Amino acid sequence: MSGALAVLRRELRAYFYSPLAYILLTFFLLVQGYYFALLVSYLSDPRFPAGKPLEIYFGQTIFTWLVLIFTGTFLTMRLLSEEFRSGTIETLMTAPVSEAQVVLGKYFAALAFYVFLWAPTLVYVAVVRWKTPVDWGPVAASYLGLLGIGALFLAVGLFASSTAKNQIVAAIITFFCLLVLFSIGLMENLANGETAKKILGYLNLWTHMDDFAKGIVDSRALVYYATGVGFFLFLTTRALAAKKWR
Amino acid sequence: MIEAHDLTRRFGAFTVVAGVSFAVPDGEIVGMLGPNGAGKTTTIRMITGFLPPSSGRVTLGGRDLFAGDPKVRRELGYLPENVALYPEMRVEEYLEWRGQLEGMERAAIRRRVPEILDRCLLTDVRRQIIGTLSKGYRQRVGLAGAILHDPKVLVLDEPTVGLDPKQIIAIRELIRELGRDRTLLLSTHILPEVELLCGRVLIIDRGRIVAQGSPAELRERWLGALGVTVEFAAAAAGQHEALVALPGVETVDAEGASGARFSLGCARGADPRAELFRLAVTRGWELVELTPTRASLEDIFVRLTTRDSDDEAAAGALLTAPASVEVAS
Repeated sequence: MSGALAVLRRELRAYFYSPLAYILLTFFLLVQGYYFALLVSYLSDPRFPAGKPLEIYFGQTIFTWLVLIFTGTFLTMRLLSEEFRSGTIETLMTAPVSEAQVVLGKYFAALAFYVFLWAPTLVYVAVVRWKTPVDWGPVAASYLGLLGIGALFLAVGLFASSTAKNQIVAAIITFFCLLVLFSIGLMENLANGETAKKILGYLNLWTHMDDFAKGIVDSRALVYYATGVGFFLFLTTRALAAKKWR
Repeated sequence: MIEAHDLTRRFGAFTVVAGVSFAVPDGEIVGMLGPNGAGKTTTIRMITGFLPPSSGRVTLGGRDLFAGDPKVRRELGYLPENVALYPEMRVEEYLEWRGQLEGMERAAIRRRVPEILDRCLLTDVRRQIIGTLSKGYRQRVGLAGAILHDPKVLVLDEPTVGLDPKQIIAIRELIRELGRDRTLLLSTHILPEVELLCGRVLIIDRGRIVAQGSPAELRERWLGALGVTVEFAAAAAGQHEALVALPGVETVDAEGASGARFSLGCARGADPRAELFRLAVTRGWELVELTPTRASLEDIFVRLTTRDSDDEAAAGALLTAPASVEVAS
């Protein structure tokens, strides 16, 4: 596993050596901060109905999804495509590391950065706690949900990156795959037929997140993410094995 | 010891490498020569485990490189043709990372990195960001990365490209030193480099090995006959006839305007130089030059890889037509 660790460490450093990390961090915090401020001012206005700020923050608006889809795309587009483009893949694949180790190393580097991206939002929780009591269960469940959905999105992105030599192409593929993954569950309301409705309901990420934000941890959702991650990482390993000779 | 067993690689309908077999024994530097597009890089990519062959096997110390255990590659150091590095890393940092990737112990990395920086003449740029380095420096960083973990088998694809003459000499010295206790396969365009460094040479053309042997053996086999250039201090009557009469001399051509300089073509295996000296002494012709002109590797290379018809080559027949000169090795 030392090979996977070496890949992970280099990849994490590469994030912080590139301007991408800082641009992403900045915009992420700007968007999240603005959105949270908006939410708080809305909830403190007596003309509007009362609500639980954290539940709305995590589960009920499109902001979370926009952020998830964009970060999933930007964090993964470079991972493998850049190795193909520059030719560093040759060094990597003639070193004593397997394809699976390379894939795992890169995946967990992306996941670690993703966690790092979300970590400052704990401040918002602290802000809420300052003025009102916080129910910690739903908060923990929300972060679990964000981790699960992020993990799934990053696995999709990594796979897309393994199919393209150009990171822009990888980004476009990822973006559309994530859009499909996100919107397929929304079809639940349009579907006719009980079975179709039920299946799409299982895949509905929005309702998953809404549940997590209310403190409901549905293991079916977690199984869905875990299966998805496993499936896409497996595909990535196969793609890498097939593509290492260009 | 690295061995290629009947390696073949096809890309679609194209056969780039067709049944190449060779072995690089321990402690030997083997040079691989071939014109562009001969299949050198493809062969090297298979030898290093990067490119799976369409058929055939590669063994490293007797173990199959494609059997699925990546640890076999621990014995291998590889400098690719286009040295690709991560431009955002510092030299030292990159080498430390290569050590981790090779599964080296932390202490071993700490000990080896300064040593390798020194050997590859990189100590003064060790804190520099790779993206800011010149091509020569990058080439050396790549080489340093390839030898860091002290591999038993080293494969270098054009290691002196982009270096200045002083660096070339230093790197050749390093290669010679590395080849002393290692298996070393060296691909290059620079023919004198091969003559200088390699105990054995493989010449590849159109995906096949067209000749292999030591530089001396190749010379013997392909341009076995010796040529001698001789010059006397002054022209004298009967010089031409006397030279023609020497045993082993087949042709005598006058050279230059002085009339005292001749170029001799000898029969295979004949060496008339001692006879020539005695002739000069007995006749009282003062010798001012006596130079054997041997075939250089370059001549052999050109002869072996020149196509019968360039049109044919352009038509893509280069891969299917038998090589113009084939050698049972």
